Amino acid sequence: MILLFLASGLFLGWSLGANDASNVFGSAVGSKMISFRRAAIIASLFVVLGAVFQGSGTAQTLGKLGAVNALGGSFTVALAAAVTIFAMTKLALPVSTTQAIVGAIIGWNLFTGNQTDSRSLTQIAVTWITGPFLGAGFAIALYALLRLIRKKAGIHILKFESLTKTGLLAVGAFGAYSLGANNIANVMGVFIPAFMLPPLNLGIITLNSAQQLFLLGGFAIAAGILTYSKKVMETVGSNIIELSSEAALVVVLAQSMVLFIFSSSALSGMVENIGLPAIPLVPVSSSQVIVGCIMGIGIYKGVRNINFRMLGEIAAGWIAAPVASAALAFFSLFFMKNIFGINVGTKLEAGTLQKSAFMGLSDPRLSEIFRYALLSILIAALVSAMAYFLYDRKRKSELRRSEEKFWMNLK
Amino acid sequence: MALFTRTTKNLILRIDEFFDDVEIGLTVFREGIKAYLGNDSEAFQRHIAKIDALEGNADRLQRTIENEMITNSILPQHLGEVVKLIDQMDEILDTLKSSLNEFSIELPSIPESLTKNFLNITEASVSSAEELIPAARAYFKAPYTVREKLLKVYYFESETDKLTRSTKKTIFQDMPELDLAHKAHLRYIIHHLENISDEAQKAADLLSAMSVKLIM
Repeated sequence: MILLFLASGLFLGWSLGANDASNVFGSAVGSKMISFRRAAIIASLFVVLGAVFQGSGTAQTLGKLGAVNALGGSFTVALAAAVTIFAMTKLALPVSTTQAIVGAIIGWNLFTGNQTDSRSLTQIAVTWITGPFLGAGFAIALYALLRLIRKKAGIHILKFESLTKTGLLAVGAFGAYSLGANNIANVMGVFIPAFMLPPLNLGIITLNSAQQLFLLGGFAIAAGILTYSKKVMETVGSNIIELSSEAALVVVLAQSMVLFIFSSSALSGMVENIGLPAIPLVPVSSSQVIVGCIMGIGIYKGVRNINFRMLGEIAAGWIAAPVASAALAFFSLFFMKNIFGINVGTKLEAGTLQKSAFMGLSDPRLSEIFRYALLSILIAALVSAMAYFLYDRKRKSELRRSEEKFWMNLK
Repeated sequence: MALFTRTTKNLILRIDEFFDDVEIGLTVFREGIKAYLGNDSEAFQRHIAKIDALEGNADRLQRTIENEMITNSILPQHLGEVVKLIDQMDEILDTLKSSLNEFSIELPSIPESLTKNFLNITEASVSSAEELIPAARAYFKAPYTVREKLLKVYYFESETDKLTRSTKKTIFQDMPELDLAHKAHLRYIIHHLENISDEAQKAADLLSAMSVKLIM
């Protein structure tokens, strides 16, 4: 039953993986610089790592906004966000998982009578606006630097290409890690206060309850990447964003840096230690940040006709998505509570929130399921990697043989 | 991983070797024409054999370069253009080979008074193609300098046109002692020599557009 309640969150994760992985590897795969298989494997691995090891910062911010304290509530909130995303995508309106989930949490707050933390809400809103601009700034600086290095170094175009390819893989891995770290809160954040799992010892590391949820969410994102992101990546690379390899490298790096900045507790702490205000740890929309990065490249190249309509649509998404999601969550919670009689959460006094929420949902069998799931995924990954390696080797040797045969016949 | 892999290094070497072949081919062609006009048939035959070997090697390199670039997805965004450039450069080598072979088969009789004209046309036409080689190499190492290097290609191509026009005029208007078939044959041979600079110009146009795309 508990796993069934998690389904809406897992669906959100799957859709995030299917759509947002293209922001990390889309230009590289679409332009055929990197094969989809390689990109999908790297993205899946690093998105899980980012989610498990650095996902807590942004999850805490969402938790402050509204700690959904019943599993039925978490399910409904995630479902409302997922339906909003689906509907807005169908209507061809720009939408991000982040905005939808924030709206749904506010809807839950309104329904249960909990107050929305205005400080967290302001932080989140400011970050949404700052993200694309910061991305544009990073993109301009990095692109200028890369062009300068390339011009001064006089490096052979094929060597540069080779380096760019390696760079795209490394930056893509960093991007996937940052995506997992920043966006896992959107997928599993609402379930954290409603779950209390016993620590899971994996031998090298021990995962706490939130990390186990993040691991599961990370797997859902990875499943989205592996099963459905190919088409999106190819579309992004060949139709919408026609970028040179170096521009693609810069765009992905700039986007990853923005996502990393808004999800790294360590970086935020460092900034605070030197006397500056701490960086808010907030999930941001990778799609909107990447639009900012691409516009940065356009500005650097002197493109004057910036697509203000697209900027307007993004700004509209900042308001429309949360409002629609909040309304849908509110009404869905009403139906869940009054028609199906499911507990969707209650108004709680500050301080009692965590304690009461965790009661009764601790199930050691879930840890066992996680352990076996992890083992199966590791085995599947190893087998796939081996099969890919053998297939690639066979393909290359066939080509070599056909070449040799061709020249032999010619003689 | 792609970093400095053997494939990339080999590809760089093969592209360089291909350009070397075209460059040497141009020198061999020039010397071959000189040998023909100087009635040194032994040297002429040697140059034909040499250009045949160079052309064969360039064809093999061209195919390998194209295969490696496609199978390893190297320079995917510029792949089509690079392949076309290599193809166009190979076309120059093909023209050199076929021209020398035409001389060898048809044994055109070139009046002594026109020897200097033929040498000048050859020199200008070959120079046009020779100036293309550093520009093509620069595309891979310093694309910013390609366009300035191409200026000389256009200059020598236009020189070739001028020399061709004046030589044809001399043949058809100032040499009544030659019969029409001889005149037509000479025009045909001139056309062969002129073809080299025309092919070089086509490659230069392509290279110019490619370099702009690369530095944008």
